[in-house]
Amino acid sequence: MNSDAWITRILYKKLISFYPKEFREQFAESMEQTFSDLCNEKRQAKKRLFSFVIWTFIETAMGIIRERLLLITEGDSMQTAFRTLGSSGVISFLFILPFMIMEIVNRRNFNEDFPFMLFFVLWLNLFAVSLILLPILRAGRTGNHGLANPTDTQGNTLLINPKPALMVSLTLVLLIVILFLLTTIGWEPLERLMNGPNPEVAYLPGQVISLLLISIPIAAGIIAGGPIVKTLRERGSLLAHPFHLVIVVLISFFLLSSVIGLLADQWPCFMGVQYCD
Amino acid sequence: MATTDSKSPLTPAVFHILLALSRGERHGYGIMKQVETDSDGKVSMGPGTLYGSLKRMLNAGLVRESDRRVDPEMDDERRIYYQLTAAGVQALVAELERYQHIVTLAQERKLYPKTFAHEF
Repeated sequence: MNSDAWITRILYKKLISFYPKEFREQFAESMEQTFSDLCNEKRQAKKRLFSFVIWTFIETAMGIIRERLLLITEGDSMQTAFRTLGSSGVISFLFILPFMIMEIVNRRNFNEDFPFMLFFVLWLNLFAVSLILLPILRAGRTGNHGLANPTDTQGNTLLINPKPALMVSLTLVLLIVILFLLTTIGWEPLERLMNGPNPEVAYLPGQVISLLLISIPIAAGIIAGGPIVKTLRERGSLLAHPFHLVIVVLISFFLLSSVIGLLADQWPCFMGVQYCD
Repeated sequence: MATTDSKSPLTPAVFHILLALSRGERHGYGIMKQVETDSDGKVSMGPGTLYGSLKRMLNAGLVRESDRRVDPEMDDERRIYYQLTAAGVQALVAELERYQHIVTLAQERKLYPKTFAHEF
């Protein structure tokens, strides 16, 4: 075998390593052998190798993309994620809809702007709770039916292995606690970051950062819920991962209590009291 | 194991692989060569398409691994051979019947073999 052929085969082997693990384990050896057979055939027929090699590399790269996409779309991960996102968005909106109607109906005679920010915050908190709890509820209801094409061996181990999931979610919870404490004591750099140089004026970067910060408890809850979802799908117990469950319950409680607090605070406004704030 | 509905149309790659394996069990390179022969060199299948299709066909129960042995015509390592299953034969027959129906329809409408020769 000459050095060009040797390099080509090494490169093809490297290319095949980009296939998903399961595919690689099943077919990598056969693919290398087939590629080698094709190279030998071209060489024996004294055909030009270069165009054949380029075509095969492109064709195989397309195959890798196809397998990766199929892994995403056929597997649980992306479909379920989109379904959960959609369902959570709709459920949260349906929950705040009665309050929006009350706001519109009971305050129609007052010359006031509609409080979009209030309803957005309500919706966002409920959306976060749904994102965390919905996969757990679904897994509890459907059991093993959701594992038609499990992705356990393909990656996403962070979301299903109890120990790393617990460590990551605890780190995120710790981050939330630290930020909460810093806000409570009025730590100046954080205050400036959130409120800008003039606290009296609305500060857009601070609002964007606040929105981004809400993703921390959501991520902590979803990651902590991962092993619970997996266990429930395998017909296991909800209490199989008690620490994860505590994190999920605490984060959901924290988010729900802020919704209830806001609703209680704004209740007179929804009921049509004019100077309610 | 997932199964496939033998009444649903097959992709060209799956059809050609089933057709190639109807001649007997083959390893990957053997399937490629058979596909080329069956199509008079018009269909050329790369390893990406071949093994991607084989994976789905194995999952659907259309083919199975028959053996791992040395090809007497090729002086190297042991190879995995694939063969049709009963479901694979059924799917191939259903596809051929579909083609047959289309050809008959085209003949009835005088589209085939003089496809659009006079009209356009």
